[in-house]
Amino acid sequence: MAPAAAAVTLRRVLLASAALRLALVVFGEWQDAHLEVRYTDVDYLVFSDAAASVAAGGSPFARATYRYSPLLAFLLLPNSLLHAAWGKLLFSAADLLVGLFIDTILKLRGIPEKMRMWSVIAWLFNPFTFTIGTRGNCEPIVCAAILWILICLMKGRVFQAAFWYGLIVHFRIYPIIYAIPFVIVLGKSYAGSSGRPTLTLWRSEQHLQNDKSSQREGPTSFLATLWDFLSNFITRNAILFGLLSGSMFFVWTGVFFYLYGWEFLNEALLYHLTRTDPRHNFSIYFYHIYLHHQQGFSSIQRLASFLPQLIVQLALILRFCRDLPFCMFLQTVAFVAFNKVMTAQYFVWFFCLLPLILPWSSMKLKWKGLACMLVWMGSQLHWLMWAYLLEFKGRNVFVQLWLAGLVFLAANTFVMLMVIKHHKYTPLFSTPVKPGSKVATKKE
Amino acid sequence: MAVAGGPRLLAAAWIFAAAAASLPLEQAGRSQKSINCMPCSRTYIGDAYLHTLTDHAHHRGLAEMSDSDELCEGLTDDVEVPTLSELQRQLVGEGSHRHLVYSVKFSACQDAMVNFLNGYDACLVIVEKLPNGVFADPFELQHFVERKVFLDVAVFGDTNLELPSALSNRSAVEIHFDLRPSTLTNCNIVIDLPLHARYPPLDASGYATVEFGSPDLFLRYRKKETDSDSCLWVLKNLEAAPVEKAAWRIPCGDEVRIGFVSNITFLSALVCSMSIVLATLIF
Repeated sequence: MAPAAAAVTLRRVLLASAALRLALVVFGEWQDAHLEVRYTDVDYLVFSDAAASVAAGGSPFARATYRYSPLLAFLLLPNSLLHAAWGKLLFSAADLLVGLFIDTILKLRGIPEKMRMWSVIAWLFNPFTFTIGTRGNCEPIVCAAILWILICLMKGRVFQAAFWYGLIVHFRIYPIIYAIPFVIVLGKSYAGSSGRPTLTLWRSEQHLQNDKSSQREGPTSFLATLWDFLSNFITRNAILFGLLSGSMFFVWTGVFFYLYGWEFLNEALLYHLTRTDPRHNFSIYFYHIYLHHQQGFSSIQRLASFLPQLIVQLALILRFCRDLPFCMFLQTVAFVAFNKVMTAQYFVWFFCLLPLILPWSSMKLKWKGLACMLVWMGSQLHWLMWAYLLEFKGRNVFVQLWLAGLVFLAANTFVMLMVIKHHKYTPLFSTPVKPGSKVATKKE
Repeated sequence: MAVAGGPRLLAAAWIFAAAAASLPLEQAGRSQKSINCMPCSRTYIGDAYLHTLTDHAHHRGLAEMSDSDELCEGLTDDVEVPTLSELQRQLVGEGSHRHLVYSVKFSACQDAMVNFLNGYDACLVIVEKLPNGVFADPFELQHFVERKVFLDVAVFGDTNLELPSALSNRSAVEIHFDLRPSTLTNCNIVIDLPLHARYPPLDASGYATVEFGSPDLFLRYRKKETDSDSCLWVLKNLEAAPVEKAAWRIPCGDEVRIGFVSNITFLSALVCSMSIVLATLIF
């Protein structure tokens, strides 16, 4: 009876979420037709215009500011042929798929049903996420693909994981930050004698709290991890994953380069790698970029803005890579926080990973969890207030806005430190017990 | 262009002069004809402005817009064309997204206008040369066309929506407003053009001021029953008097702060990144 009840509960949650999203899409259509302020994200209009251009036999890059893979324009062809809301329904479906994948991943890791439901709800009923998809933002597709890759890795489907990973890095470049952790987990300890990986199952909260010794079971120093990495990563799985995903990336990129030439390469790829936006955004670098936009940047300045990002990514990978979902979550938060451009849609990138780490956190909602949420949202609202005064009131508050960006970075750092402090380090895959090894994990 | 015939060259010179940002329209127009013709296949007149904005002396479009007497012959006779009685323009709103609101009135509009619109398809054409630092979003304006607020709209010149003023060029907007008895309220037309500010160049005063010149207004019309082979638009310059200059104050960054901002930014990033690195070692 228990599994049936669980299925019904999940189904109900998904159905309610679907109904909510459908209602929002319908409402959005109404608002767009009747009110001056549109519900639809301006990017959705860009995607739709690009798709219309493709439908007419042209290039998606004929639409100014279209800076995505042509695949997205192809996916949205029915916007021109069927209905303009097709894309929103597609993105919302991907949004629901993320909820389903969260449940699947947590189930594979042995999370009890009730806890799984709360984690799924944390995604599906997060006001931020359900408005993103229904307003026509394509990020839910990327989130779904990332979680699907994780599922493939957990089930030992390395080829499939590599296929999707190469495709999604082509589609949206940022998942490239997961390349090193993926290769590391595919090292010698990935697959047992059966050829399938053994997952480390979740243990009860009481156990987590009492088992302090296991907090330090993972790689304890950078040198140890570095050695672990170098000696372990050259495996058949790791090489296959690297080759296949790399090939996928280059094949898709090559095909679209053949079709659309340098315009594709410049707009969809190089633009994102070299993007510096002088207009205000959450990034701490925006005012620095604006102040330098007439004179350009020195090499030292370029390095200085890239170094913190690099240091943090490497530190997180070396310390937490074997706890893959946790590592990916932290990497994404840090990547967004230290990026030279930061907009609110980027937050979805780590919101989809948050439910995957909640069961391993000893942080209670009362009061530390609430404090984290308030600090994060408060600093964001504080930034938005100054941005409003600049953009909609025309007041010169550049300095205040820049300082608010620094406060938001501090808030992101605070939340990351709190999350790290209260997290129970648990490698995704259990390592075969060797003589003298301290690692002792429960086999699947 | 130099090889064009005499009347054509004259027409080109008139359009070019009328379009020149530095030369007010009525000065150029008064000494020359205010009625021209252009083929129906040509949608916009504003691309002539593109070259005045980017300082190019020649352009292919002028040759197509001919006002030779033979072409316009018979089209402008025995018709009482409405004339402009009042034009007002206001910059409305605050911050980086504002509206230019035009209020246009035609004289003797009641019967004369209805008679005119019964026999002719007509639209009011407004060409606004935007100063550097302000842009119109062509995709946003297209939405107005879809909602039938405008008959048509086009943006010429630099349509990059993201670049700051220092790295961008000027642009011009051409709005076509459909004239029908139903769209005229007491012969008064109100047209709303949304505009956006670019980030201005750095200035110690903290604000950059952007000023708009006077717009150019035209009446474009043709007979309702027109042979598609010899279809011509008649373009009448409404010779609008210059409107009051609109000024837009846009906040800008201060160069004095460059060193301070950059150093504190890098320091903050370093402190935060080091605290995360430390956390990975401690926890």
